[in-house]
Amino acid sequence: MIEVERLTKRFRSATAVDDLSFSVPKGRITGFLGPNGAGKTTTLRVLLGLALPTSGRATVSGRRYRELAEPLRTVGAVLEASNYHPARSGRNHLRVLAAAAGLSPGRVDEVLAEVELSGAAKRRVGGYSLGMRQRLSVAAALLGEPELLVLDEPANGLDPEGIRWLRNFLRSFAGRGGTVFVSSHVLGEMSQLADEVVIIHRGKLVAHQSVAELTLQAAGATRVRSPRADELLARLRAGGIDAEPTEAGALAVHAPPERVGDLAAEAGIPLHELVAEKGSLEEAFLELTTEPQP
Amino acid sequence: MNALRAELLKAVTTRLLLWFGLGLLAFLVLVLSIHIGSHDLQSLGERSTQRTTLAFGGLAAIVAVLIGSLLVTAEYAHGTINQSLLAVPERGKLLAAKLAAAILVVFAIAVLADAATLLIAELWYRGRGVTLHLNGYTLAPFFGAVGGSMLAAGIGVGIGALLRRQTGAVVAILLWLLIGEGVISAAGDSARFAPGRALGAVVAAHEVGARDVLGVWAAVAVGVLYAAIFCGAGFLVVLGSDAPTSGD
Repeated sequence: MIEVERLTKRFRSATAVDDLSFSVPKGRITGFLGPNGAGKTTTLRVLLGLALPTSGRATVSGRRYRELAEPLRTVGAVLEASNYHPARSGRNHLRVLAAAAGLSPGRVDEVLAEVELSGAAKRRVGGYSLGMRQRLSVAAALLGEPELLVLDEPANGLDPEGIRWLRNFLRSFAGRGGTVFVSSHVLGEMSQLADEVVIIHRGKLVAHQSVAELTLQAAGATRVRSPRADELLARLRAGGIDAEPTEAGALAVHAPPERVGDLAAEAGIPLHELVAEKGSLEEAFLELTTEPQP
Repeated sequence: MNALRAELLKAVTTRLLLWFGLGLLAFLVLVLSIHIGSHDLQSLGERSTQRTTLAFGGLAAIVAVLIGSLLVTAEYAHGTINQSLLAVPERGKLLAAKLAAAILVVFAIAVLADAATLLIAELWYRGRGVTLHLNGYTLAPFFGAVGGSMLAAGIGVGIGALLRRQTGAVVAILLWLLIGEGVISAAGDSARFAPGRALGAVVAAHEVGARDVLGVWAAVAVGVLYAAIFCGAGFLVVLGSDAPTSGD
């Protein structure tokens, strides 16, 4: 559905996106992750024709955005919540977009109802809360009944209720066969929502895997509890295993539970608990993107 | 046509035109009152004075250049240019729609300014007991006001696309009108080719020019040239640059 091929974008001397290639399959929710300044927004803006690539290309269904015959019927995009004329009503904002795309004016009221904004439709956007603006952005994205949604940090500034609404909405959209490509900083939310993730760092691709694969690979710690925790800690460290005390009698050990159990048995140290803690998307993300300390 | 409809809808769904319209009306009342009130009855009865009086509708050209620039720069100021480009990704098409919308909007404003000028002048003339003669000679500036305003709107759109910053564009236009045109007068007869002078000559609608003022058709040609230069340069800038990530 989305193809990014050897995309590079430079701003004067700074390289925001560096020879980036990946693809987003149809009918799935793909998360787009990376630290601040990794190049996520720039990539999305090139994909949507808002920024011009230095080299390479980003396409939707094989075409650049500006080559799409009916862009709003193909792609719905949610960019920044602040991109509204404050004196224009939410309904008029959508009427303008519908007119520009040659869509039926009737769609405006339909999408307003879909995002539960009908009651505020005639109010000026300047008086909307951040959550309402995000819903209006989603309504704008849905105007053309697109098969692909591209969202840039849609959860930014949303309260827990708003985040839940967005999660349910995106799941429902994907459940109807739609494709979602969403960038986010909220890793916990993304691990619940996305089927797979594209992770970039300094403009380069560092991972493109399913969430399940990625969290399996993440180094989860082994939690171990013993009445002789201090002695076990010393034995582990002597064996070259990284470990640290977490609470009274408990250790977090960066090694598989089998190795910890074997070592404790050899030393005759009793264990009261030995648990393999599953890696999280956050851990995988940090492992892939954390800079080594100098 | 869809892009043009959207641009016209943008123009009428904020209060921009209302405020500009009311401001222009108030200004016309003020300047026409001063102008008519300061002439003696004999002078008011002369056809040339009546023609000059009815040319005040040409003040719409000042509003036109500002509206033209704001139709572009407001999109950048509020960041709505991103949504506009998502709906109409061909930038040339979007800018052409803005240009057409600016010309249509300004056409309507200039016609209303002419109507307001006629009404205010008629009321003043009646009040002073002088007959206002409406004929081809005295009404010619009405057509000039409409034409001059449409050209000014084109120049405004070009300036807006070139600068893309709302405050910068408005300040640049006002500085040129208030200071630049005065300074360029020092250039002697060549000053008649300055943008403001040329548009003023369109409004005045004199068939034959003079040393310090162009004839109407020469002035139209100069105005079209300015609009083409500003729009060409502005469109090239927009076509070759990224849309802003947020408002300015």
